[in-house]
Amino acid sequence: MNLLSKAATTLLLISLTSVSYATPEQDKETFQSFYTERFPDISKADFGDGVYALDQDARDQWEAMNDFPPYEDNLEEGEILFSTPFENGKNYASCFENGGENIRQNYPKFDSKRNMVVTLELAINECRINNDEEPLPYKKGDIAKISAYMASTSEGSEINIATPTSKAELAAYDAGKQYFYSKRGQLNFSCANCHIQNVGRKARSETLSPALGHPTHFPVYRMKWESFGTLQRRFDTCNKQVRAEPLPGQSEAYRNLEYFMTYMSNGLPVNGPASRK
Amino acid sequence: MKLKALALILIIGLFCTSANATTAADAEKSIQSAQNLWDKTKLAGHEWNTIKPLVAQAKQSLDNKKYAVAIELANKATQQAKLALIQAEHEKTNWLNNLPK
Repeated sequence: MNLLSKAATTLLLISLTSVSYATPEQDKETFQSFYTERFPDISKADFGDGVYALDQDARDQWEAMNDFPPYEDNLEEGEILFSTPFENGKNYASCFENGGENIRQNYPKFDSKRNMVVTLELAINECRINNDEEPLPYKKGDIAKISAYMASTSEGSEINIATPTSKAELAAYDAGKQYFYSKRGQLNFSCANCHIQNVGRKARSETLSPALGHPTHFPVYRMKWESFGTLQRRFDTCNKQVRAEPLPGQSEAYRNLEYFMTYMSNGLPVNGPASRK
Repeated sequence: MKLKALALILIIGLFCTSANATTAADAEKSIQSAQNLWDKTKLAGHEWNTIKPLVAQAKQSLDNKKYAVAIELANKATQQAKLALIQAEHEKTNWLNNLPK
C-alpha cells in the first residue's frame, strides 16, 4: 500500500512537472489554439478587439463611437510630449531604436544584463532618468499618453516578443505564467478563471474578454477612467475586482505578468491605442 | 443578604476594572498579530485588499478606546490573512489546474 501510494505520488508529480515545464512555444500554441478552437468564426487577429470580437451588439456601438475616438486629444498630447525635447536637448527618440517609432510590438523585452523584464513604460521612464528628468508616475497620465502615441506608430505590426530561452528569461516567464493562473483575492479568482475558462460568458452584465489579444491594444482609453491607462492599470482593476491588493506600477510581478501575456499574443497585430467601456 | 449583595457588587466591579485594563492591552496584541499575518500575505504575494481597511479601522477603534471593537476588527483581519496565506500555499501547486486544456 505504501509502495502504491508512493508510486501514485510520483506519477502525479511527473504529470504536474511535465505540464509546468512545457516550453513557451508549446504554451503559446496551446493558449492560442484554445481560443481559435473555442471561437472558430473569429480570426486570430480579431482577438485583439477584445470583447468586441465576441459581442456583435457591443461591437456595433464601439465602431460607431470610433468614428470620433474619445482618445484623440490625449493621443495628440502624447505625440507632443514624445517630441518635446528634454532640458538637455535630447528627446525620447534618442533613447529608442528606430527613433521610438514602430517598436511597441517588441515590448516587453528581457534585459539580459540586468536579468529583468523591461516594459515600454519602464523604458520611457529610464529614458527620462538617463536624461536627468524626473520619472513619471506609472499606469496613467503622461506616461500612458506617450506610450499610446508610441503604440499608434506600431499599428498593424505583429507582436514579436523574443521567445524566452535563457534560465533568467524562463524564470521571469514562468513567474508571469504562475501569476496569470493563480487564484488570488478574497473572491479566489485567477486571471484565467475569467479570461480563459469563462471567456465569452457574462460576469453580471459584462462579457468576459479573451486573454489572447489583451496586450495588443494598450494603452486603452476607458470611459470609466476618462483617460488612458496602461495594461498595468488594468491589472489593478482586475485585482481590485477579485479583492486582491494591486501591486505598484512596474513591480517585478506585474512586469513578468505583462511579459507572459504579451508573449501569448505573439503574432497578433498591434491595434492600440483603443477605447473601451 | 446585604452583605451578599455588597460582595456581588464588589466582584462585578473587580471584573469590570480588570476587563477594561486587559482589553486595551489585548487590542494592541490583536492588532499586532493581525499586522504580522498581513505582512506575511504581502510576502507571499497574496495580499487581499480587504485586510488593510480592517487593520486601519481596528487601529482607529483603539485610538478611540473602543477596545472590544478593535479586537473584533483585528480578529477579522487575522482570519482573512490566515485564509490568504492558505490560498498562497494552495496556489503553489493548484495554479496548474487553470492551464487551458
